[in-house]
Amino acid sequence: MTRTGLLSIQGLRTEFSTPDGPLAAVNGVDLEIARGDVLGIVGESGSGKTVLGLSIMGLVDRPGRVTAGRIAFDGTDVTAFSEAQWQGLRGNRIAMIFQDPTTSLNPVQRIGTQMIEAIQAHRDISSGAAWQIVREAMVRVGINSPDERLAAYPHQLSGGMRQRVVIAIALLNEPDLIIADEPTTALDVTVQSQILRDMRRLCRDSGSALIWISHDLGVVAQIAHRVAVMYAGRIVEQGATMELLKSPSHPYTAGLMASMPANSPRGQRLVSIPGGLPQLSNMPKGCSFAPRCTRATEACEVPPDLSFISPGHGVRCVFPLHVGAALAERN
Amino acid sequence: MNEGLARRMSAAGQPAKGTPMLAFVLRRVMQSVVVLFVMSLVVFSMINLVGDPVDMLVNPESLPEEIDRVRRDFGLDQPVHVQYWKFLLGAISGDLGKSFIFGRPALALMAERFPATLELATSALVISVTVGLPLGVYAGLRPDGWGTRIIMGGSVLGISIPTFWLGLMMIIVFSVVLGWLPVSGRGETSRFLGIESSAFTLDGLRHLVLPATNLALFKIAMVIRLARAGTVEVMALDFIRFARAKGLAPRRIVLAHLMPNILIPIVTVLGIEFGTLIAFATVTESIFAWPGLGKLVIDAIVNLDRPIVVAYLLFVVTLFLVLNLVVDIIYALLDPRVRLQGDET
Ligand SMILES: Nc1ncnc2c1ncn2[C@@H]1O[C@H](COP(=O)(O)OP(=O)(O)O)[C@@H](O)[C@H]1O
Ligand SMILES: [Mg+2]
Repeated sequence: MTRTGLLSIQGLRTEFSTPDGPLAAVNGVDLEIARGDVLGIVGESGSGKTVLGLSIMGLVDRPGRVTAGRIAFDGTDVTAFSEAQWQGLRGNRIAMIFQDPTTSLNPVQRIGTQMIEAIQAHRDISSGAAWQIVREAMVRVGINSPDERLAAYPHQLSGGMRQRVVIAIALLNEPDLIIADEPTTALDVTVQSQILRDMRRLCRDSGSALIWISHDLGVVAQIAHRVAVMYAGRIVEQGATMELLKSPSHPYTAGLMASMPANSPRGQRLVSIPGGLPQLSNMPKGCSFAPRCTRATEACEVPPDLSFISPGHGVRCVFPLHVGAALAERN
Repeated sequence: MNEGLARRMSAAGQPAKGTPMLAFVLRRVMQSVVVLFVMSLVVFSMINLVGDPVDMLVNPESLPEEIDRVRRDFGLDQPVHVQYWKFLLGAISGDLGKSFIFGRPALALMAERFPATLELATSALVISVTVGLPLGVYAGLRPDGWGTRIIMGGSVLGISIPTFWLGLMMIIVFSVVLGWLPVSGRGETSRFLGIESSAFTLDGLRHLVLPATNLALFKIAMVIRLARAGTVEVMALDFIRFARAKGLAPRRIVLAHLMPNILIPIVTVLGIEFGTLIAFATVTESIFAWPGLGKLVIDAIVNLDRPIVVAYLLFVVTLFLVLNLVVDIIYALLDPRVRLQGDET
């Protein structure tokens, strides 16, 4: 299958204006996603994943704003879109699923109403016809007795069921791209892996590209073709999932891998990277990971350029790990 | 709402599911009876401390025998606890005594005046919601706009300016200076769907506008504040963001997602406030000579017409008790999370 470009992000910067000046939650992000592609975005909480997702949806609210960069969706730059143009895109060609299924649905509207409106926002279709589509969508995400569920209010469904409803809504208009922002984090582990599997299948069936956001590299590795590692608003490493897991090049990626439960011997405490994310208001001059990095030297006080370990595997680090034969050859 | 009602009714038809609601209502009614009893005791003893009604009923220069006769006729010669006991026996059979002045049952007099007050309070409620809700929602959606500053400034004025002063100003401006609207009274009424109201004739409406607006001003400010606070709170919630992510038009988001959620607290508060509208109508009715309950009771207080005052106060207490109960029920109907408590498995 040949993959053609769907979403192309260049130099994206999203700032929040604060009394102490603007803070860049997304700071020069470049991403490419092809049709049908599954891209995982991994990073600690607070690294800017959600803001990145919202930026792609045009949903960043004041005091936040996209201040630089270009987001081309299917060849069109959307950064200058009017609100009406965004409305046509959102839920129709790009859908987004949020982290907490308990709060994504309006508590005082029936599930059916909330699903049908998602169709009718984009298509001139009778409620009866929309109801049929909605029923089928419910069945597709594995909800039995859909009519009963459609008549229910959100609080009458379990968390896992609600997230399935939200996923069904995201799929309703067969979008080209779905952004799933930690959609399983709030759910228990068994439900989590079920939804992960279903999501992979559903996207394959519909041909939708998927951006799967998570703080858990293990979860992302199960679903994504490619992984982008995000740290303090920047993509610090990006590559095909297998390649990245085999030879993580950024010390931060390596740290994330070491802290995956599967990678630490049973009974032993998980290794986590000491320290925390830098404050956006007090970012290090050069590499933002340097203060936590065991390999950092003075050379890290200038922002590291993107270098390629192998084709399609880029890293922003002055001293990448696993440099491998490819880089050695080049030098 | 209709679905909710239907649901509620069908639930009431099924003992297993209906029982919690029924038990709730019964318990509340019993509590209300106790509150009413205590209130009647308080009101009755307090009113006996204020002036001697006989002074108002007979010419002070009358013969002492004449004064004693009147005192006996009205039962005012007996000890307070005996008077109270008689009152209580009457009250249980629905008789709250006769007006000293009019010589007619207090309840009948109040029933005659009540429609005018109800009309005034209802109009004020309608005005406060139709004006306050859109303004408050607008202010909540555009927190930094100029319009918002004007609205919020206005609502501060609405809360801080005394009703009677504003009432007088309104009369001066609209009736005296501009001569657009009549100064006082209820105007022509007409009957529509079995309800006698001045809202159905042009003359009646012209009489109604000023007092209803006057009574509404305080509530408009309150609705604006509630609606704005609710809007700010709800618009920040995830389900609004998800609604936007679905590509819904702002209009749909406001009407289908914001409104139902902010209406729950507003309805609750307004329901209870309806009682205060009727109670506060006394001031407005006095200024605009509106022939309602408020005017009746103010006159009764001036004339020491005890049965009317007692009956009015007990009526207001009952009104508050009933409204609270009704609001709780409506609240349960509006909010499915409350509604289904008890019958969810
Ligand atoms: N509304 C906001 N105002 C100010 N700062 C914000 C706002 N939303 C997010 N941020 C900041 O942007 C950064 C990235 O947040 P977020 O994208 O939510 O992280 P993640 O999703 O990776 O956990 C954080 O430092 C957060 O404090
Ligand atoms: Mg997040």
